[in-house]
Order: sequence, then C-alpha cells, then structure tokens
Amino acid sequence: MSTARPHLIALGAIVAAGLLAAFGLRDAVVLDLVFTLLLYAVLGQSWNWISGYAGNISFGHAIFFGCGAYASALCVTHGLSPWLAIPGGALVAAALALLTGFPTLGLRGHYFSIATIAVAALVEVFVRTSPSLGKANGFELPIASGWAALQFQQKGPYVVLALALFAIVQLATIVLERSRLGFYLRALRANHAAAASVGIDERRFKLIAFAWSAVMAAAAGVLYAQYTLFIDPPSTIALGISIDIALIGVVGGIGTLWGPATGAVVYVVLAKAVALRLGGAGKGYDLVIYGAIICLIAALRPYGIVGTIVDAIRRRRGASAAA
Amino acid sequence: MLARRLSASLAVVALAVLGGGPTRAAAPPEIVIGSVLPLTGGSAQTGALLRTAQQLAADLVNGHVSYPLPMVGKSGLPHLGHARIRLVFADSQGKPDQARAAAEQLITQEHAVALIGTYASSTTATASQVAERYGVPFLNPDSSAPGLTARGLKWFFRTTPHDGTFAENFFQFFADMKKKNKSFAVKRVAIVGEDGLFGTGASDAEEALVKKNGYELATRIAYTATTSEVNAEIQKIKTAAPDVIMQASYVPDALLYMRGYKQQGVDVKAILAQDAGFIDPTFIKTLGADAEGIFTREVFSLEIKHRNQAVPLIDQLFRERAGKPLDGNSARDFMGVLVLADAIDRAGSTKPDAMRKALQATNIPGKLTLMPWNRIHFDATGQNDGGVGIIEQVQDGKYQTVWPFDVAVRPAIWPMPAWKR
Amino acid sequence: MEALATFAQLLAGGVLAGLVFALVAVGLTLIYGVMDVVNFAHGEFLMLAMYATLGLALIGLGPLVGLPLVAIAMFLFGVVVYRVFVRRLLAGPPEATVFGTFGLLVLMQGLAQALLTSDFQSAPNPPLQGTLRFGAIALSQATLIEGIGALVLTAALFAFVEYTETGRAMRAVAEDRVAATLMGIDVQRVNGLAFGIGSACVGAAGALLMLSYPVYPTAGVPFALTAFVVVALGGFGSIQGALAGALLVGLLEVFGGYYLAPELKMVPVYVAYLAIVLLRPQGLLGRR
Repeated sequence: MSTARPHLIALGAIVAAGLLAAFGLRDAVVLDLVFTLLLYAVLGQSWNWISGYAGNISFGHAIFFGCGAYASALCVTHGLSPWLAIPGGALVAAALALLTGFPTLGLRGHYFSIATIAVAALVEVFVRTSPSLGKANGFELPIASGWAALQFQQKGPYVVLALALFAIVQLATIVLERSRLGFYLRALRANHAAAASVGIDERRFKLIAFAWSAVMAAAAGVLYAQYTLFIDPPSTIALGISIDIALIGVVGGIGTLWGPATGAVVYVVLAKAVALRLGGAGKGYDLVIYGAIICLIAALRPYGIVGTIVDAIRRRRGASAAA
Repeated sequence: MLARRLSASLAVVALAVLGGGPTRAAAPPEIVIGSVLPLTGGSAQTGALLRTAQQLAADLVNGHVSYPLPMVGKSGLPHLGHARIRLVFADSQGKPDQARAAAEQLITQEHAVALIGTYASSTTATASQVAERYGVPFLNPDSSAPGLTARGLKWFFRTTPHDGTFAENFFQFFADMKKKNKSFAVKRVAIVGEDGLFGTGASDAEEALVKKNGYELATRIAYTATTSEVNAEIQKIKTAAPDVIMQASYVPDALLYMRGYKQQGVDVKAILAQDAGFIDPTFIKTLGADAEGIFTREVFSLEIKHRNQAVPLIDQLFRERAGKPLDGNSARDFMGVLVLADAIDRAGSTKPDAMRKALQATNIPGKLTLMPWNRIHFDATGQNDGGVGIIEQVQDGKYQTVWPFDVAVRPAIWPMPAWKR
Repeated sequence: MEALATFAQLLAGGVLAGLVFALVAVGLTLIYGVMDVVNFAHGEFLMLAMYATLGLALIGLGPLVGLPLVAIAMFLFGVVVYRVFVRRLLAGPPEATVFGTFGLLVLMQGLAQALLTSDFQSAPNPPLQGTLRFGAIALSQATLIEGIGALVLTAALFAFVEYTETGRAMRAVAEDRVAATLMGIDVQRVNGLAFGIGSACVGAAGALLMLSYPVYPTAGVPFALTAFVVVALGGFGSIQGALAGALLVGLLEVFGGYYLAPELKMVPVYVAYLAIVLLRPQGLLGRR
C-alpha cells in the first residue's frame, strides 16, 4: 500500500483553495459552482464506497441523498434544528441501506443492483403518496439565517460546510483504503471464491461499506436542502439523480480515491458545455453524450480516468524498476 | 470552458472591487431580461418551444409591425427611448438547484433587470427565491402549482391561472350547464390523477372543490404514470359508480384508462380531463371514435381567433420558426414577455421598485391577449386574477371549445355518448 | 355476487398482465442464463423494437405482419451489440457489464429523444381493438393476443434450448464456460447467438405491444423494471421460471392495487422480490 502522504497533501491543498474561495470571492456564480462540485464529489465518493470499493453497482443512490434532504425539510418545518437532520437522515439512510443490502449483498452483483432499483421505486411511491412528506409537492424551506438555522445569506459558509464534508469523506476513504475493511473488500473483488473460502464474511463487510455510503449521501442531502431551500421527489430521490451520481462515480474511476472528485469536475463542465452548445435544440443530446461516455468507459477503460492514470503511473514505475 | 467562466467572473469581481462596474444609463440602449428554461434534460423539447415563443415576442416588441397586442411594433420601449429588449437564456436542466444557479447567473453576470420562466413549478420555486433575494421582478407565465403565489413573495408575478383555477372551471362549467338545462344533474365525482406534481396538484384542487361545492367524492385514485396496466384502478372506479370522472394523466396512461373504461363498461355522464395526455395529438389519432365526447380543460385554443385576430398571425410566425403550431405553453410564454415589456415601459426605467409598481398596476384587457383570459391584472399575491381556462370537447374528431359559453364554438354534448361496442 | 364478478375480472386481468410481463422477460432471462449478463438496456431494446414496428406500420405493414421482420432485425441488432460492445464488457471487471449496459440504456434513450423526439406515437389503425366477453369478464383482444404470444414464445424458447443442438451448446456454455470451450464450443459465437435470440424475443414483444401501447423514448422503462423483478423471482436464466414469476407479479400487482390501494400496487411486488432473494435466491424455479 502506497503512503497516504501525497493524498493528504492534495486534500490539504484543495481545502486551502476552497477556504480562499469561500472567504475571498463574492461572485455568487463561482461559489455556486464550487459548492456544486464539492457536493457532487461527496455523492460520487459515497456511491464509490459500495459500487467501486465493494463492487456492487447501486442504481438507487438518490434515496439516501433524499433521506438527508427530507430529514432537513421535516426538521425545519416542524420547528426543530436542521442540525438534527444530519444524524436523523443518516439513521434512516443506513436503515434503508441495510434493508436493501441484507438480502442481496451476499449474492451476485445484479441481485443488489435490481434491489436498489426496486427499493428506490418503493421509496419514491411512499414519498409521493405521504401527505406528511409533502407528496409530489415537496417542501419549500422558510428563509432564515445563521449557523443555528444552518442557512446563510452568503455562499461562503455553504462552501465551508461542503468543504468540511468533502474533507471528512476523503479522509474516511483514505482510511478505508488502508483498513482491514478495505483489504477484505479488495480481496472479495479480486477473487470472490478464494476470499469467501478463507471465511471473509462478504455480507457483513459489504453492509458496513453500504451503510457508511448511505450516511455520506444523507449528509450531502441535508446540505443540499439547506442550500437550495426547495426539495421535491424529482430533485432528490428520482432515478435521474441516481443516474447522475452513478455517472460521476463511473467517469472518474470506480474504486479510486480521487475518481469521484474528478468525475464531479467532468460532469459539471460537461453539463454546462452541453447546455451551452446544444441546449435549446430541444434534443436529448445531453443523454447521448452521457450514455456514450459510460459505454466507452465500460468497454475500454472500466476504471475511469483516475484508474487509467494510476495504471499508467504503475506501469511506468514498473518499467523503471525493471530497468 | 470552466476557465473562461472563472476568468469572466473574476473580471466582474475585479470591476466591482474597483468601484467601476457597468453603470446603468437613464435610457439604456438595451434592456436585458433573463429567461430560465429547461433547455436540456427531460423537458428540453418544451423548453425549446418556449424559448422560440419568448424570442418571437421580444423580436415583435423590438420590431415595427403592429398587432392587436400590447407593446408590439413600437420599435422597442417608447418610454425608454425605444430601448430594445434582449432576452438572455439560461438552462435550468429542469432541476431546482440548476434553476437557482441559472437565475443567479442571469442577475449577477448578465445584469438582467427582470426574470421570466421557468415552466416546471419546482424550478420556478427556486429561481423566484433568488429573484426575491436580489430584489428583481420575476414573471412566471407557465407554472401551475397553486402554492407558488402563496409564499408571500414581493417580487413574484404569475400570469397563468393555476391548478385551483382550472379545477374551479369544471365546477363553474357544471353550474353554467345547470342554468341552461334544468335536468342537468351531477352528484358523485371520481378523481383520478397520476401521483406526480401535475396529477397531485390537480387532484388536490378538485377534491377540495368537490366538498366545497356540495358534491360527493365517489373515489380518489392516485397512480404512478409509468404503469403498464390499470386493471385494479378501473375496477375501483367502476365499483364507486361515479357520475363524472375528473382525470389528470399523461398520454400512455390516458390511453390505458380510456381503453379500460370502454372494456369494463364504466358508464359515466362525462370524463373531464386536465389537458396533458388528453390533448396530445396522439390521443384522438389512437382512440378514434372512442375519444368522442371527452371533455378537457385547455389553457389556450387557436379558435380564440374570433376574439383576437392576432392569434392566427402569431401562430403563423411561430410555425415558421418552430415548425409546430402555437400551443398553450408557448402562447403563455409569448404573453409573459409582452407583460414584462409593458410594465418596464410604463415604469419608464429599469429601477426595480419602479418596475414592481408598474407590474402591480398592470391591467391588460383579455381581448388584447392571445389567451381566453378576462384580463391580466395581479392581485396582492402576484397572481393574475383575470385568468381562466377553457373547456373543450372532442366532437367529430376535433377539440371544440364548449366553455366559457362566450368563447365557445359549439354547444356541449351532455352526457357524452355511450361507448361504441 | 358483484364482488365475485370483480374478483374474476381482476384474476383474468392479473393473469393477462402477467403474460405481458413474461413476453418482455423471456429474452432477458435467456441472455442472463447463457452469459451471466443482466442487460439493463433491455427496456430500450423493447423501445427500439416498438419504433421499428411503428416504422413498418407507417408503410402499411401492421404490427402482426411486421412482427417477424422486427424480430429478425432485432436479432441482427443484438448480435452486433454483442460483438461490438458486450464482448468487451465481459472482459472487464464484473461490474462493467452492469454499468456498461446501463450506459447503453442512457445512450439509446438519448438517441431516441434526439432523433425521434419525445412525442408519443401509436401505430395507425392497429387491429384487434375490440373486447371479448366471457360472462362477467371482459378482456381486450389485443392483450389476449399479447398473452398468447407470450405463451408461444416461452414454449418455443424452451423447446429451442432443450431440444436443439445450438440450445444444448448454450446450456453447456451456461453450465461451465471453460469446459464448453474444451469441448470445442465457440463460446463467443454461442454468446452472440444468445444475445441475438434474446433481442429477437424482445423484438417480437415490441411488435405485439404496439397493439396496445404508444411508443416514446422511455416506453421501455416500466416494462423493463418489472422484467428485472420477474426474472429474479422466477430464477435468473430459467425460461419457465420467467413465466411463473411474471404471472406472480401480474397477480400481486392487480390484487394489491385493488385490495390495498392503487398507488401501492408495486409494494407487494417488490416485497416479494426482496423476500425471494433473501429466502430462495435461486428463484422460484431456478437452479443453483
């Protein structure tokens, strides 16, 4: 296992740059972009835990994001502190993850993938028909201000919060890569039968990864709700959001530390570029491009941008070592 | 891409810091109106039409050809030295967070003096919040969730009637029919709606009015639009034995229900639909004679030409650009730009407060619009209180306006004909 | 008495709905059975077949006449997709087939939206729009034909896999890829063939569904979702299992919708999925 030092330095640099932006910049559009990037990077990393490191593709990741967003809306509309939404949303998300994962995570991958679609569909119906969850209308959060209300007039504090979440998630992933859990997950992916035969409890370790994955997405959901101040099923729990999250995870490189962050940058740039060049034509070119990218990566570079770079570095090192 | 954006934004920051920044002359040569629309994503097709409609309206305001419409053909805004309107579009992707970012970009980077948009109610909710925070007028011509004007926003104005109004139209229609025909009787109402924002909004409004107007709720069905069969739903409705069905569905599900009603012999006096699937061109084409007698509300009809001769002319211009006939969404967005232009012109400046006062004083008679509305005039919440829908009925394979009676082209056939075996 | 009539009608409706699900699911289960790939773009293959049927209908070949043509075209499409794309996915890590076919889903939906618009389109003047009545039960002719189509297709596929030389080769590949190679079976050829035949099945399904459904870029989504559950319930790779799973889903959905609430009709279906996966992961009729 390589040393964690370069990763920590890189993370430190990103945090420093982010703080500089949060306190130095006033431009709402740029700060919005930074916030969005960080949020997507967190969601991508959350997905990466179960789909990359554990190797079980989740198509319903938006529901965990939604747990946080809805917890936030419920807390605020019931006069509770939105800070409570972080543990609350995380608990519900982890419970949903266990419900989805327990029957399926010991089995071949597609059982799990289908279960994520099914549970996501169930959750969506549940939300859309529950008056206490705002049905299809969702919630508009009343405007407030200050750290107690977790709402701010300026974008700086939001960027700081997103940065903190991003740092926690990246640190956790650095730890994962060096932990027993990470080792077992890698072993299971590398040689499933061999790992299982030496008694690695697949279901247990994957459930841990999935639950943490859900918790991270829920935290991002809280932040999203407090930032956008409006949530409804299509913007939080629908299949389209799950697709976006998976896209971010796949593009950067599954099972890599910096893959999701890279994927988030690519995704945001791509979405803006598509809107700029092709938007207004009324055609589905955005889907064509996203779909083509996923297909190409899956067929040619299944470990994404970062995976390819890491491979190239390893190969060069290997070559120089051999020489 | 990103680099260019960043540098542009940095330049703006630098300018602002230096105390310079773009200053606004008393009579600007160009007035920037920001438009947030779903230009990519699932509603991209509609977004493209709306953009065409808005651009057409702006071009007509800037042009010199006159039509019986407000602000059209005066070579810009006369009270602002014939300043021209420039629309700047930003993409909402149909997502609330992107709509928010788009609105922010239009206000801070493009210096839009007013915003218009955004089609989906969810994206309108967030974009209008941004406008509220910056103190910029926001005109919403096309979102129908009733709650949007119940938020107490100062800068939010909506020209289109909302779901509540459309549902009310059904009951006004009943009342008007009763006045004409003493034997007209409706008691039990079944409400059927898909469980998304559209169907839920419509069904909620209908249910409230059923009780308020002394009717009986036979049953209320909520279902997921992407279903492949509606066996259970049809049996529920049949068992409830309603007099009329009020329905909000998209195309595939509307067809499933219509076939189900016929097969299972669900005999009702009328099916009253909330446009969408029931006014799609596919609906009559697919169902043929089985579509006869269906009522549906609409926001607009090309038949309104007998009230305003501009309707076919604008339709013609729109067809040339969009390759499609002018529809209700496009007509509403077209009118939205004119309403904004009218208010800015009367304000005589682009100062936010002046524009807001002018918007509040808006009073455009119905016959100067493309719409079936009584007038455009905003109440205290910013909702146009002159908006009405129309009710059409499929007669001889075409949608014929049957209500309000003064714009109707045919009398309503009541009850609708029985299913052909 | 009336409650009984309603029950009978729901039963008939549920069985027919189940058969329609089976129609879509058999192709999916065949592909899975041979090469362990869940084609997440299965619904988009269905959508493509429906557009192909529409195209033929517009030049005068109705859905029933066009069916064999669509099936052949979809067979070729399936073979090409396997050769160009799926083969490469199989060489990658196991999750590549999952997100790769998922990318295909997004790509095909996008292409359909870009090239064919998101308008809803129905086949012009489709046949069999009448109603058949058996006492208190009323059934749509089109749905009945779709149900019969499902039975025929399932039987044909079952016979093909059990009793033909190629079918035996497919079963050999499904049992043990390495052993099959040693026996001199060209695994790539068999896989390509299976992908083609699976696609031909969904082609036939698409043609039949045009009798009663409109087509649009996401037309396949509701069917595909159900098909995944159906195939898992019946046992991945089991053809007769898909039929059984489909009937179960149809009945659960219709009875759940009536006796529970219409908005909750998918709840028993998904709960059944999770329960089966937990208690009997090989499915109702699947082999381990």
